[in-house]
Amino acid sequence: MLEAYITGVGAFLPGDPIPSERIEDHIGRIGGKPSLLGRRALGWNGVATRHYALDAQGRAQHSNAGMCAEAVRAALDDAGLGREDLSFLAAATTQGDYLVPGHAAAVHGELGGEPLEIASFQSVCGASLMAAKSAFQAVRTGEHAVAVAAASEFSSRWFRPSFYEGTALLDAKGRLRAEADFLRFTLSDGAGAIIMEPRPRPHGVSLKVHFIDAVSMAGSFEPCMWAGATVEDRGATWGHVGPAAAHAAGAVALLQDFELLKRVIRAWVGVYLKKVDEGRIVPAEIDHLLCHYSARSLRDELLQLLEKTAGMIPEEKWFSNLPTVGNIGSASIWVMLEAFLKSSRLKAGERVLCVVPESGRAFVGFMLLEAL
Amino acid sequence: MSEVADVLRRLAVVFAEFEGRLEQTPLIRKLTRGRFTLEDYRAFLVGLRQQVKDGALWMSRAASNVDEAHLELRSHLMRHAVVEHRDFRLLEADYLGTGGELAEIQGAEKNIGSEALSAWMFHEASKANPFGLLGAMWIIEGLGSIKAAEWGRLAQSRLALPDTAVRFLLYHGENDVSHMAEFEEMLALVLPDAQVSARIVRTAQVTARLYALQIEEIAA
Repeated sequence: MLEAYITGVGAFLPGDPIPSERIEDHIGRIGGKPSLLGRRALGWNGVATRHYALDAQGRAQHSNAGMCAEAVRAALDDAGLGREDLSFLAAATTQGDYLVPGHAAAVHGELGGEPLEIASFQSVCGASLMAAKSAFQAVRTGEHAVAVAAASEFSSRWFRPSFYEGTALLDAKGRLRAEADFLRFTLSDGAGAIIMEPRPRPHGVSLKVHFIDAVSMAGSFEPCMWAGATVEDRGATWGHVGPAAAHAAGAVALLQDFELLKRVIRAWVGVYLKKVDEGRIVPAEIDHLLCHYSARSLRDELLQLLEKTAGMIPEEKWFSNLPTVGNIGSASIWVMLEAFLKSSRLKAGERVLCVVPESGRAFVGFMLLEAL
Repeated sequence: MSEVADVLRRLAVVFAEFEGRLEQTPLIRKLTRGRFTLEDYRAFLVGLRQQVKDGALWMSRAASNVDEAHLELRSHLMRHAVVEHRDFRLLEADYLGTGGELAEIQGAEKNIGSEALSAWMFHEASKANPFGLLGAMWIIEGLGSIKAAEWGRLAQSRLALPDTAVRFLLYHGENDVSHMAEFEEMLALVLPDAQVSARIVRTAQVTARLYALQIEEIAA
């Protein structure tokens, strides 16, 4: 097997940073009224600004695939490469522009150019590392000399009032269920990409990829963040009743189960501690931690357990751009990596651990990098 | 890395995997999926009572097998047994609170999982210096501090139960918050010792599996 190195990183954030008090101009007000839960959600999340691909009138300024293609171009440019050098595209998203076909086809369509090998990954935040694993293997086996793993999200268009109005998700007073409303103030838009090659780039920082581990515990847990079924009956998916009836029942909007989330968080920590126990992750050898999390309040819950079990990576080693960009789902980890590299904190020989938990259905991924 | 932290980490992994297994049991799936009935809740209380009633008994037996070199641990186990040995009465009161008859919960037989769990606990507690049982306590106390209140709140909201019917589950969540600190103290009384560490983790694994079997076997 060959080695694989990250030789370029790119990010695309649509529009200007939007401060918390203007969020509802972009995602809209359900029934014309501001959300009460929204203000509390923003407090828990600890996010000051974020980006939307919708303008202040709620009109789309980009497509999901278009943002992804912008991030791919930026990553290629960062690596000193062009579109013609690329031979493999792995693209991730939570909800693509089309229901069918896959996201990678749409991104290739936006990029244009010669034929490519493509792979589409549809999940939630963890789709990023699923795509990265695919690019990693493509490079390591020698099948491709330049591979890109890209991820993008256009969550905000799913948060427009028309996704909720006239559905069972609103109560008699027109208030949206917490399972739906919380996410409207949690997720934002954007894209990120990494280039992988079998050797470091001639100049500048390259990151050797030691491993990417993607662990699903869906065999044990019900969906925790989903679209396509109601809160009450997660087993009956929307296709059985058709789109109009599913929409009316509240089965089309993006939803989250907070009670289940608490159990899923413990499952993530369990997987992490098992990796520590097996020696796959050695906390003392990690110089920087890039952990994707959607809310500061979630992070604080984990600290005590990690400290007691010698699994903690000291807080001064954590890097996050959550306060300025929010949670961009699958794109988050690459947008965070891009900001981290720009911050010039990284020195040659240092190790970076990326952790991407996904509440979708109890998934967590890890990627260990070493700076050259 | 201290051996206490190593054991705590392995126990945290065992507990996380145990929670995943509990999620898949028919009873808990009903509870989390909103298909839980009053009959299910009563069957749950009946199932829990057997294990709760035995808990203080095997803990007392374990204490009687702890030697003079570990008197502090013996004290811990005896105090623990005293605190918990009447808890099954609370379960009976909750059962009455649901409108059930006392004779039903008192007369019910152990399910297959409870039989196995109980036999395993008394077997381990009968050994000299049964330090592995700290692993069993981790699982059972973890259920008390993490799962009980969660289940209690879900059951209460799903079935609109009065407070007098969910005291056992809710009371445990409130009382076991200091459990981690006390548990660390007990571990420090028997560690470092590689064999004891391994036995604690193994006992936690077996106890978790048998506890899950007990929940699997609860049927309304």
